[in-house]
Amino acid sequence: MTERTAEVTWQGSLTEGSGRIERVGSGAFGPLDVTWASRAEEPAGRTSPEELIAAAHASCFSMALSNALAQAGTPAKRLSTTATVTFVPGTGITRVALTVRGTVPGLDEASFREKAEGAKVGCPVSKALAAVPEITLDAALA
Amino acid sequence: MPRIVREADVVWEGTVARGEGRLTAASSGAFALPFGLASRVGEPEGKTSPEELLAAAHASCFTMSLGSELARAGTPPERLDVRCTITMDEVAGRGHLIVASALDARGVVPGADQAAFEAAAAAAHEGCPFSALIGASATVTVTATLEAGEGGGPA
Repeated sequence: MTERTAEVTWQGSLTEGSGRIERVGSGAFGPLDVTWASRAEEPAGRTSPEELIAAAHASCFSMALSNALAQAGTPAKRLSTTATVTFVPGTGITRVALTVRGTVPGLDEASFREKAEGAKVGCPVSKALAAVPEITLDAALA
Repeated sequence: MPRIVREADVVWEGTVARGEGRLTAASSGAFALPFGLASRVGEPEGKTSPEELLAAAHASCFTMSLGSELARAGTPPERLDVRCTITMDEVAGRGHLIVASALDARGVVPGADQAAFEAAAAAAHEGCPFSALIGASATVTVTATLEAGEGGGPA
């Protein structure tokens, strides 16, 4: 069992107030400012819950794919993944788009796509986000 | 409503056991971080992980939702302090799953009593899009405790 924590503070109302991701358990980042404006309008250098979900999903997917490729005897030299999260205020997260480009010696395109599809279905963050209406995958060898 | 798009990039090199990833907040540029398997399942050793990023996402989403509920009730918070703990576990036959997200909210809220703060926290949980998402497959719990402000005890 693995536990990970994050602490956020907020002052004031939603639209006029401001928040901060004060610290995370690992100490890897923080403090990071978050505001409603930077979430719903332009980021202006500030992160948002949706960007953090994109980061969680891209990192989880990449590890799952790396693991599947290594188990198949064709470890990846390099994987480059982008996760794009679409958020509609009042509705929620409507879409996550995963794009991956891989450098994998000895593997053909179809097999890479098959492994990527498996990672998309099987990684823990994908399972946690299974209620998102649309999760897409664009996978190709670099 | 407008569609809001946020992006993150990851580059991974090597096998999962020995390789390492680099993560970039592509929309904001707010962070660029290394991560790996050993620090994901063992001691963090200063590195983030998908689960920690989920904790940060859920804490920030819920905190905004709680600020909004309190303002709507006419008692905007002076300060909210929210901790989110995400738990990943290996579940027989289903592999590794996010099994729980625990939110612990403390607040200094002039004009609100403990019952009102708890009600706002429950409404915030209902309204936070990420609570709904993760609640579909994991257990989300919320505790809410009103704290004394600098001016004295809770109103």
